[in-house]
Amino acid sequence: MQSWFLKSPAQRPLFAVLVSALFVLALCCLLSLLFGAGGLTPQASLQTLFGNGSPDDEFTVFHLRSTRTLIGLFVGLTLGIAGALMQAVARNPLAEPGLLGVSAGSSFAVAMALVMGASTATLTVGIAQLGALIGCICVLGAARMQGQHNDPIRLVLAGAALSSLLLAMTSLILLFDQRAADEIRFWVTGSVAGRDTHTLMSVLPSMLVAAACVLYTAKPLASLALGERVAIGLGHKPRRIRGIIIIAVALLVGGATAIAGPVAFIGLVVPFAARALVGPDIRRTLWLCLPLGPIIVISADIISRLVAQPTEMPLGVLTAIVGAPVLLLIVRSRRLPTL
Amino acid sequence: MINQSLSMPDTPTSNTSPNGYRLVSIGQHAQILIEKEAIVRNTWLLLVLFFASIITLGSGTMAISPKEVVDVLLGQGDTMNQFVVKDLRLPRLLAAIYTGAAFSLAGCLMQTMARNRLATPGIIGIDNAAMAFAVSSIVGMSVSLAPSFMALAGAATATALAFGLAGGSGTRGYRFIVAGIGIGAIAGAVTQLLLSQVSIDVANSAYPWTVGSLSARDPFMVNTLSIGIAICVIGCLLFSRQFALLPFSDQVITGLGANIKHIRILALILCITLTGLAVAVAGPVGLVALVGPEIARVLSRYRGIPLISSALTGALVMMLSDLFGRTVLSPIELPVGIVTAVIGGPYLIWILVRRSSRSSL
Amino acid sequence: MTFNRPSFKKILLCAGLAASFTTFAAEHTVSTKYGNVKVNDEVKRVVTLSEDALDSAIALGFKPLAAVATRGGDSVAEYIQDRVGNISIVGTSRQNNLEAIVAQRPDLILASATLSQDQYNILSKIAPTVVPKSPGIVTGSWETIAHVYADALNKTDEMDVILADIEKRASALKNKITTKLPQNERSATLARWMPQGPVVMSSQIFAPDILASVGFEINDAGVVKEGRPHSSPLSLENLSKVDNDWLFLATLNNEGNAALEAAKTSPSFSRLNVVKENHVMTVNGQLWTSAAGPLAAHAILDTIETVIDKKMN
Repeated sequence: MQSWFLKSPAQRPLFAVLVSALFVLALCCLLSLLFGAGGLTPQASLQTLFGNGSPDDEFTVFHLRSTRTLIGLFVGLTLGIAGALMQAVARNPLAEPGLLGVSAGSSFAVAMALVMGASTATLTVGIAQLGALIGCICVLGAARMQGQHNDPIRLVLAGAALSSLLLAMTSLILLFDQRAADEIRFWVTGSVAGRDTHTLMSVLPSMLVAAACVLYTAKPLASLALGERVAIGLGHKPRRIRGIIIIAVALLVGGATAIAGPVAFIGLVVPFAARALVGPDIRRTLWLCLPLGPIIVISADIISRLVAQPTEMPLGVLTAIVGAPVLLLIVRSRRLPTL
Repeated sequence: MINQSLSMPDTPTSNTSPNGYRLVSIGQHAQILIEKEAIVRNTWLLLVLFFASIITLGSGTMAISPKEVVDVLLGQGDTMNQFVVKDLRLPRLLAAIYTGAAFSLAGCLMQTMARNRLATPGIIGIDNAAMAFAVSSIVGMSVSLAPSFMALAGAATATALAFGLAGGSGTRGYRFIVAGIGIGAIAGAVTQLLLSQVSIDVANSAYPWTVGSLSARDPFMVNTLSIGIAICVIGCLLFSRQFALLPFSDQVITGLGANIKHIRILALILCITLTGLAVAVAGPVGLVALVGPEIARVLSRYRGIPLISSALTGALVMMLSDLFGRTVLSPIELPVGIVTAVIGGPYLIWILVRRSSRSSL
Repeated sequence: MTFNRPSFKKILLCAGLAASFTTFAAEHTVSTKYGNVKVNDEVKRVVTLSEDALDSAIALGFKPLAAVATRGGDSVAEYIQDRVGNISIVGTSRQNNLEAIVAQRPDLILASATLSQDQYNILSKIAPTVVPKSPGIVTGSWETIAHVYADALNKTDEMDVILADIEKRASALKNKITTKLPQNERSATLARWMPQGPVVMSSQIFAPDILASVGFEINDAGVVKEGRPHSSPLSLENLSKVDNDWLFLATLNNEGNAALEAAKTSPSFSRLNVVKENHVMTVNGQLWTSAAGPLAAHAILDTIETVIDKKMN
């Protein structure tokens, strides 16, 4: 048992890895409650946690920091799972909602909504999810294009092209509305600060739907990883599975984007790390993505609070800077692993 | 689809040319293989470009008839028209033609090399990095260089980084492309960060650099670009025979006795020089690189690699896009980058949604 | 492209002047960001390419032929709308339409201090173009800029009178405020509310400058970096830094109250003392964060007067 970490990833006991990951996650959450951009020191925060703090301190720890930790938890969870699903369905380790234009789709929808009069404070989730779905459908086209060639780069190129198109369209609609342009400037950098728990409640129903989709498709997905023919042979319907996954990804990414803005590369880094820990089987990685996503988002958020006091660094910038090297790492690995 | 010039590398010094081609010797060693049909095609394109230019010079808030435009160009006409045509529209037109040609030529090269219609220099991050640098110059991050120079520096930095990180061009430049996408993502995030740090007025003055615009461009950069394009076009002509090999598999090229690495690196260098210079003039107008070569391929009926035609169609697309942007919502100008995105967008989606077989080159 | 530019300029000038009944008048020199510019003493056809230039020109009794649209609108800012008459719009705060400017045949162009060299090179061929040297973000910079525009319009003395008027009005208001509010209840902040935190405006830009001149003690919480007009969104944990006696909350649209309600849904905002005491004032962002100039100063003073009447009894 002691040497389980030395085994090859695919042989490691999932349970042990999962427990360790959960332990790290708990640690991250604790740190997230202790550190902040304000004047409250970690020691004082710890005391507040044990009930010996002023009302102001309590507000900071129990309201501000705990809320954003919760939001970080949620965003990490959804984006990590969405990334894993997307990579499984595209059989491509580079498939990531951000790279494939899904986030750009929801950004576009949000910009549209802002122009129509919404403000970032009162943004509705449905709009972002709709945008994500449109992005996903375009990616579905790209996935079809990928078809027999199974060339991972092609899909990424399609996504990059789609993203750049959606960005330009966003610029176009913002051209006519300066108020929206001014607001979206702050929104597009991504952040988990200042969001309210009730926004979490508003995305909950769609998240339950997404969770149901994931549970329903986990097994067929694993067989799909062995190839279309195998999946059909086992009695699954690849087309339908893909459709369901696309909807789940749209719901997940749309929900996360509506709350936190576009947060790049989480969907790339999380499944990558999960595969490195427990091997390529989607039934194992999906489990591990659950704690890994929040770990990465929350630690990025802690850093974002600390590097630019008394203001904060936007989360999306930080994750882009962390995530891009992982992208390179994946590409540089001698042979692009096909899923 | 199979190019007749395939047989050429076997006999590089032969003076015979295949059907439909003409071999032009320059000096003792250099020879250019020119497709006869391409000459006809490109002459037509040049003519169209010329007449479109006359119309463009005459259109705008102040309408000037084609005859008056010609008068002005010959040094006559009234002073007002002289100013509008020569000082306002002509520099802008030239900037459009040069940048369009550069983007499109670079796009054609990179698409051919990666055998993918979507592989354009704009998509792989060069544009984004140039944008980030230009914006940083405008929002005053303690640098005082003009935005266009910063854009050039940005393009160069991105390329160097992508090359360094990818460890060379890799197969079909794939690693390079993905490294570029990653760098582009970081550059995009940094741009957003910069824009969120400054007042909306400063963000506004950086705006043309985030979408691509041809209004009041730096004349020095435009001139530099024109020289760069001239050199690169000559380069493309000289090496057209080698570039013709780009679409084939490594084994075929090596079998034909050519050094695949050198050809790829040469193509990549041309690509990046063109894109870097064009971005320094106009900002990110990447979708021209997608649309221009496509039109050229249709015109050439998918035979060979229509490098020169791509440059001409790119120039045409850029010019007409800018004309459209200038006139459609007057007095408000639509930046050319947005117009090309709106034109290129539906086409892009069409490529994405279409079945696979024809989307590869 | 080698035709004779000076002679062309004269012809343009002629075209402009022919409309009025003036012949060639004397010229004076204005010192600008891009060197000294010779301007006719009696200009008739003025085009303004920034909000503060438009404001100054109108305050001095000129009717500019054309201006740029204010941020967030397709015409000039609301506070000045009924004074501009039938003005043409020749661009946005992002981009000018050069041809539309030429079509106005101006004899003077007043541009913003942030105009780029490239733009200047072209504009200066159309007409003498005055780009004020940016004094940077310091107290009273708007007055310096207004003086440059007045110099270009050859009305420096009039501008002195106008600015003195504003000062007089401000100090009268200051008396009123200082008698009503004790010394320790006059701290104020100008900010915009973003969901992830407030964006605090520097104490040294236009509107806070005016606020200070009427006796408020502007506190930008020390979070606005030197030479910056505003801060990045402040972390919610540091909200106590903006919790002064007064909070002026700027919105870019007219629905100030809606914006206030939206901000109040954030518990970190609604628990501020200044909010509890109902000392939050929503103000029009077009005027308070975008405009500058004598007329804007008067408009802001108007708002402050209303505020005093409403909130300080």
